[in-house]
Parts: sequence; structure tokens; C-alpha cells
Amino acid sequence: MSHPPHYDLDVRPILKAGGEPFGAIMNAVAQLAPGQSLRLFASFKPVPLFDVLGARGFAPSAREIGNGDWEVVFTPTAAAPDGIDPGPPPAGEADAWPAPAAEIDCRDLPPPEPMVQTMEALEALAPGEALVALVPREPRFLYPELDARGHRWRAEPQADGSYRIVIVRGRGAAGP
Amino acid sequence: MIGASLSRWTMAFFAVAICLLVVAEALMSLGYGFPSHALEAPETLLVVHLVAIGWLSLLMCGALFQFVPVLVAKPLRRPALVLPVLVCVATGLAFLLAGFLEMAGTLDSGIPFLALGGMLLPFGFALAAWSLAETLWTARPLALPARFVAMGLVCLVAVAALGTIFAHLLSGTLSGDALLARERPAVPLHAAIGIGGWLTFSAIGVSYRLLPMFMLAPDGARATTRWVWRSGVAAVLALCILAPVELAVGESALWSLAVAGACALVAIVLYGADLVFFFRHRKRRVVELNIRAAGGAFAALAAASVLGIVLVLDGTLATQAGALVYLACFGWLGGLGLSQLYKIVPFLTWLECYGPVMGRKPTPRVQDLVAERRDGPWFVLYFVAVFVGTGALLAGMPGLFRVAAAATLLASVAIAAELVLARRLHNVAAARRFPDGTRQPALFMAVPKGR
Repeated sequence: MSHPPHYDLDVRPILKAGGEPFGAIMNAVAQLAPGQSLRLFASFKPVPLFDVLGARGFAPSAREIGNGDWEVVFTPTAAAPDGIDPGPPPAGEADAWPAPAAEIDCRDLPPPEPMVQTMEALEALAPGEALVALVPREPRFLYPELDARGHRWRAEPQADGSYRIVIVRGRGAAGP
Repeated sequence: MIGASLSRWTMAFFAVAICLLVVAEALMSLGYGFPSHALEAPETLLVVHLVAIGWLSLLMCGALFQFVPVLVAKPLRRPALVLPVLVCVATGLAFLLAGFLEMAGTLDSGIPFLALGGMLLPFGFALAAWSLAETLWTARPLALPARFVAMGLVCLVAVAALGTIFAHLLSGTLSGDALLARERPAVPLHAAIGIGGWLTFSAIGVSYRLLPMFMLAPDGARATTRWVWRSGVAAVLALCILAPVELAVGESALWSLAVAGACALVAIVLYGADLVFFFRHRKRRVVELNIRAAGGAFAALAAASVLGIVLVLDGTLATQAGALVYLACFGWLGGLGLSQLYKIVPFLTWLECYGPVMGRKPTPRVQDLVAERRDGPWFVLYFVAVFVGTGALLAGMPGLFRVAAAATLLASVAIAAELVLARRLHNVAAARRFPDGTRQPALFMAVPKGR
């Protein structure tokens, strides 16, 4: 059985312009031929999409392609369900994001206060617990600090230019 | 998504730049250069290049090495070139200034200083443009603020190329009647591309990101911003493409300069509209001193634009160009530079010192690194002195100009001292200064965490 080629969608320009690519992605999904997979290019690993498209019967396969960009191929699973919930997507362990244990809104704070508040809230969590932080801008100075302390994180740009950061406290991340 | 890190040598760029600003202001207050000497005298050229290269260009390079990666969310390419840029530009500038001293008859060494400066300076700026342009290239498509910086870099290359030709014409390593005949009419072009293109374009680009960030204002692309970009690019094209053509055919570039001026005016008015928008839509009701002081710089930009129009209509631009350049360099670019250093230095120092322990230990606020109440008057003195100095130049009062220059010197030294105190964390209460896991940042160098 021959498969039609991937349907390619590059949402990096939309993200770069501060836009919200969800509509474009859903449009692309609606235009897929039966059995056709969607190849998505994004400037971050679009983890939230894995759930959304998983519920529609697509399995993600993600790889980093350099410069922080990601290529994700969403392949329709054989048993493409019709009205049947396929259950959780077959994502690897590293992709499992726990439900947030705490949520903070720092969108009205000047830099670097959002970073300070985020780190303080994170330090109050137990390892493995997740924090959601809303910050006014992409916190580019925060990322290296999260990496250095062994926390797992993902950042999602919002329509108003703010960012929603989900951080899972690392297990080996106690004390300097 | 890539995090930004501290640029190791940015503080060194800032330190050298501020020292050279102080030297330039000291020379002016001692009556060295314009208006005591003629506009085209070597003494004036020395002061002008001390300010344009030593203070403003080194400041801009240091700031861009730190903020271009933040602007485009990509790591700086060729970071190994950053220190050579500082060394080449600083040494090349020293040679250039020595060359002007030879022209003035103050120095008589027989060493071809102008030619040496004319090699090292373009080399240093080319390295800077290479690293920054390659960084921008990896981030295409560029958002508007980064595009302004990209156009600033194009102008940096153009102004450095013109300056190189001048240096070699003056030193005699380059000759030719056709070139010599056009040297004089090309001088306003050199100044316009340097001040209006390289420095102003880059400053506008960085300000579009930094000002909304610190005021918590929306910074999405606006129609006015797109028109600032378009009219600004038209001005730059007039300077970099139309003007050389006009100079090649005729003997002046007046028409190109007029077109560029008109386009620049449109860009400045719309930029002003964007600034008002940011200010009105900010979430922070009380703005910090760096924003209030930047108001002085924006007022100087507006005043310089009006002054430019008046001088052109009045037919006195050629004789009063000194006042216009002084207002643009010290009021707008220098004023913006000093006011934003007052935020950038404490902010980067805070990140370096307290970043590793934030969330784990109580840390001071960034504002605790400075004493705004004490420092506000220095900015007032600085801007008042610049406006008085401009008036003194226009009115032909060299004595008053020297007093005004001395006042800018005093204010600049005070602000520089406050920046050193901020870097030393002097204003932070001793008990809170160094929580466990922190250490004193080095004065002239940031040490990125080696973890």
C-alpha cells in the first residue's frame, strides 16, 4: 500500500511573528487525504499538540532538527478511530507532563521578577511536580537556569505575546 | 527556543566607551575642537571620532553583542570575534586620533597613523558586522526590531568604508583627482550614514524591544512601526545608493541628502508615535529612572529634527551643522545610551550575581542595585547641559559651550561612578549582598556560569 507524501506545514514564521499557529494546524489536518501524515516544523517541541492530534488518531514522531527547531510527523494510526477515544497518545516517557501542582501569573511584573517568582514557586514543589507560570515575555534568560538546575520545561507563546511555561521540577535539582 | 546568556565582554565595551566619552567631554570643556577650532579642523575631527567611534560605536557594539541574541532567540555566532572587535576598534581609533594630532601639528612622528587607523578600524567593524550579521542570518525571517539592527549593520559597513577612503586620502596612501574632488561633499554623507544609519537605526531597533520590556507595554508589530521601517530604509537607500551615484555624476550629493532627510523625518515622527503608544499602554504605572531619563533623549531627537528643518529652510545648515551633530550625538544617542546603561548594567549584574540562586535564597531587586533618588539629578543636569550647549553653539557663544560641556562631563562622571557602584553591588545592604552561592562580579567582564 503506497502512502501519499507528507503534508508539510511550517509554523515557525507564525510563531516568529508572535502568532498562534493552532488554527493553521487544524486547517492542515482537515485537508489531509486518508492515510496521509502531517509533517510539522516548529520552533519548539509542540507537546500539547500530541494530545490534541492523538485524540484524532495521529501518532507523533518528533526529532530536533537543529537551532532549537523541531520536525514532527503525525502519522494516522492504523485503527483510525471514528468517534472512539483512542486513549493517551503513544508518547515516550520523556514526553509525559504531569498535571500542574501550582500555577502562578507573573504577567504584570517587570523583569526579572517573573523569573524570581517562577523559581521560588518551583523550589516549593516536590521533584516530579509541575508548575505553570504565565510570564509577560519569552523568558530567554530563564531557560539556561532551568537547564542548569535539571528541570524539564516547555514554553508556549500565547496570542497576547505572553508565554505559558510548564516546568517539571527535576529529581536531582535540590540545592546549589 | 534557546536561552540567552551573558555576553562576556559587553561590560568591557561599556567601560572603554564611557572612559572615551569622559575624555571627549573633558576636551570640549577645555576648548579643544569645535567651536574653538573650525568644523573641519583636525582638532574637531579628533573629538568627533572620539565620540562617534569611541563612545557611541563601542557602546552600540557591546549592547548588540548582548542583545541581538536576545532579540532573535539564537546564540551569538562567532563569539571568539567579540574581544578582537574591541581590541581592533580601540587600537584603530587610537591610531586615527594620533593621525589627527599629526595633521594638527601636535604630533610629529612620521608614522602613517591615519593609514594604520584606516586599516584596523574597518577590520574591527567588519568582524563585529560578521558576527552579528551571521547571528541575524540564522534567525530569518527577522522580526522588525532585528531588521532595524540588520540595516544598522549595513550602514556600519558603509560608514566604515567611506571613513577608510577618507583616512587613506588624508594620509596620501590613496590619491586621484576624481576622489579628492569628492572628498568634501562626501563628508556630510559619512556623518549621516554613521549617525542616522548605523547608530540611530540600531538604537531604534533595540529600543523597540527593550522599552516595552521594561515598561510592560505590548510590543507586537504595529502599522506605524512598519512605516518607520519603510521610510527609514528609504532614507538609508538614498544615502547608500542614490548619493554615491549623484556624487559620481555631479560634485555634490545634495538631492540625495534632501530625500534621505525627508524620509528620516517621516520615520522619526512615526517612531515618536510608537513611543507614545508604548508609554500610554504600559502596565507599570511608575516608570524607572532609565525610562524617565530616556525622555530627555527622545526630546533631543525631536529637537534635532526640528533644528534640522529650520537650518535647511534658513540656509544655515552648512555653518550650524556643529550644533545639529552635537545635539544628535550627545542629546539623542549619548543620552539614550547613558539612560539605558543605567538599566542594562544593573540588570546584567543582577543576572550574573543572583541568577544562580534565585528562588533558593532571598535576592535583592534589580532596583536595589541603584539609588534612583540620588541619580535623577545627574540625568537632569546632563540633558539641560546638552540643550544649553546646543544653544550656545547656535548663538556663537564658545565660552558658554565650554561651561555646558563641563556640566555634561560632571554628570557623565557621576553616572559612570554610579554604574561602577551598581556593578560592585555597593547599594545593596551588606547583609543581603552575597547570599551563599553568589560572588562579586568582575568589573569589566561577565563570567557565564560554568555549570
